[in-house]
Amino acid sequence: MIKVAVIGAGTMGSVHSDAYTNMKNADLVGIVDIRRNVAEELAQKCGTRAYSSLEELLAHEDPAVIDVCVPTYLHKSYVKRIASAKKHVICEKPIARHLEDAKEMIDHCEQEGVRLFIAQVLRFFPDYKKAYDLVLEEAVGTVGTVRTMRGGVFPTAWEDWYANTDKSGTLIVDMMIHDFDFLRWCFGDVERVYAKSLLGREQNRMDHALVSLRFKNGIIAHAEGTWAYPDGFKTELEIAGDQGILVHDSDLATAIRTSIRTSSTSGSGVAVPESPLNNNPYYLELEHFLDCIVTGKEPIIQAKDAYKALEISIAALQSVQTGQPVHL
Amino acid sequence: MKIGIISFAHMHAFSYASCLQKIEGVELAAISDEDTERGRKASEQLGVAYYHNFHELLQTDIDAVIICTENAKHAEVAIAAANAKKHILCEKPLATNIEDAWKMIEACKANHVKLQTAFPVRFNPPVKRVKQMIDNGDLGRVIAIRGTNRGTMPGGWFVDADLSGGGAVLDHTVHVIDLMRWFMNSEVKEVYAEIDTRFHDVEIDDCGLLTIEFENGVFASHDPSWSRCETFPTWGDVTLEIIGTNGVTKLDAFAQHMMLYSDKQNKVSEQFWGNDFDLGLIEDFIACIREDRDPSITGEDGLRAMEVALAAYQSAQEKKPIILNR
Repeated sequence: MIKVAVIGAGTMGSVHSDAYTNMKNADLVGIVDIRRNVAEELAQKCGTRAYSSLEELLAHEDPAVIDVCVPTYLHKSYVKRIASAKKHVICEKPIARHLEDAKEMIDHCEQEGVRLFIAQVLRFFPDYKKAYDLVLEEAVGTVGTVRTMRGGVFPTAWEDWYANTDKSGTLIVDMMIHDFDFLRWCFGDVERVYAKSLLGREQNRMDHALVSLRFKNGIIAHAEGTWAYPDGFKTELEIAGDQGILVHDSDLATAIRTSIRTSSTSGSGVAVPESPLNNNPYYLELEHFLDCIVTGKEPIIQAKDAYKALEISIAALQSVQTGQPVHL
Repeated sequence: MKIGIISFAHMHAFSYASCLQKIEGVELAAISDEDTERGRKASEQLGVAYYHNFHELLQTDIDAVIICTENAKHAEVAIAAANAKKHILCEKPLATNIEDAWKMIEACKANHVKLQTAFPVRFNPPVKRVKQMIDNGDLGRVIAIRGTNRGTMPGGWFVDADLSGGGAVLDHTVHVIDLMRWFMNSEVKEVYAEIDTRFHDVEIDDCGLLTIEFENGVFASHDPSWSRCETFPTWGDVTLEIIGTNGVTKLDAFAQHMMLYSDKQNKVSEQFWGNDFDLGLIEDFIACIREDRDPSITGEDGLRAMEVALAAYQSAQEKKPIILNR
């Protein structure tokens, strides 16, 4: 049994806490949020204790690993304090807002002799894992071009921090990093990046980005990210090779489509798409990280991979701002 | 726990074998197959002992068997296994006639062994979710259901009526009827069916359409045809549309896939990435033995689904709806 604590009771903190609650070998000993009532509410749901600060948690509990689910710009401060307290760290993606911060976090954890796991969860999504496996099997032959798409409605969270470029780095750092990491996992390092987005134009709680990636092995990839849709969330992936094409569209892979009547008199209803799995990808990811702590083995996604993915995001941001291609 | 597999006539045997090898504390101890070549090959591939005669396998210290013989042989094998005090997971359809099915159920009861019918689709996560939605009352009262379980023609003994007991209608009716029964906790009252051979040069039915009414007043239809052509991107489908007073849900049990267009294979294929539900079935079978509880899918569940398919044949022959008398 591994003792785990979660920092941040927002969207991801709730998802991670729920996963630990359902995990046989995990003991969720506390949930921290500076909003005490939010921490209390989640702690009660998960049958654990609520704390208002990391220090308060450490004074009362002895977790072996602490999972950081706070906004991106706060990652460094928490990760460093946790490492100094000699606890292993799991940290939400993106690893940090800036590359220097990411490096500092990795170095600090190394110095303190604790492990740092970055929750780039896409590698644990069964659809993307399947695509990765098929690429490795050369199911489409030699890959020439790749297209990814990810996004939906603009996210709403504490203090609207997603809308603050200094804090979130826009969807290029926050969300498209999933696809950047996936592409690097499949195809290796990126040579250069060129990108356009709404950053610097009129944003108004809307964002959209088109990123051109040229890989060292010659592959040309197009990544699209959006927070401009009126609703919903979707992903697409197309991998074209000289002997085949692999196509994923989350809309088409929806196993259940339900339409519920909203009232008995009106003709309108709400449509709910669902694609249930036995264990969600977040559960699989966190279970893997805990297993790595117990066995000492290397994770599927290492902190240095998360750093490299951030490097692509930062290059894309820089290209948006300068209008020039950025060489990595 | 030691498990044996009797016969690899049904291709699901390989999937069940690989599931057994994934479960902790469970050992696929041995297999038997009256087809020596097929049996030897399987035993080498799986690295387990081989017996030609299933009676020899039943004399070993295995705890349970999975029966994957041709349908018509299920009864003889299951009754012998029950008498040898082995728990049984039997491939669907449970049998080829009602008398055999009852004998199997009775033999297991008399010997105090479990009898589970292999309806793995119940362990498909989207299917489980729809069951939950119906139980929660999210859809209101169910009014009607529309189902399909279409496939490619399997050939071999499946098209030999003496061994299979029936063609597409028997092969592909039972899964979906089981889901409908499970969703509503109601039995089929009446069946009307059109059945024919319209796709393949075989001496057995390869297509049909069932129109059904349940005891709870819900009506339903089901297409069990072997109607998927060679270029269809996968073996077949399981779909259900459930119409309720409060809403409608469409379920596609194999929607969790991506498409692979392959010049290497000159083929377009669905690449499924959802959870392996055969594993869910096998885990449940093992759990019901370990916990000494009733199987979640009983022999009687297998019988009830099978009798709907048999009534469909009768209906098509007599060109009238058949009332099921129990």
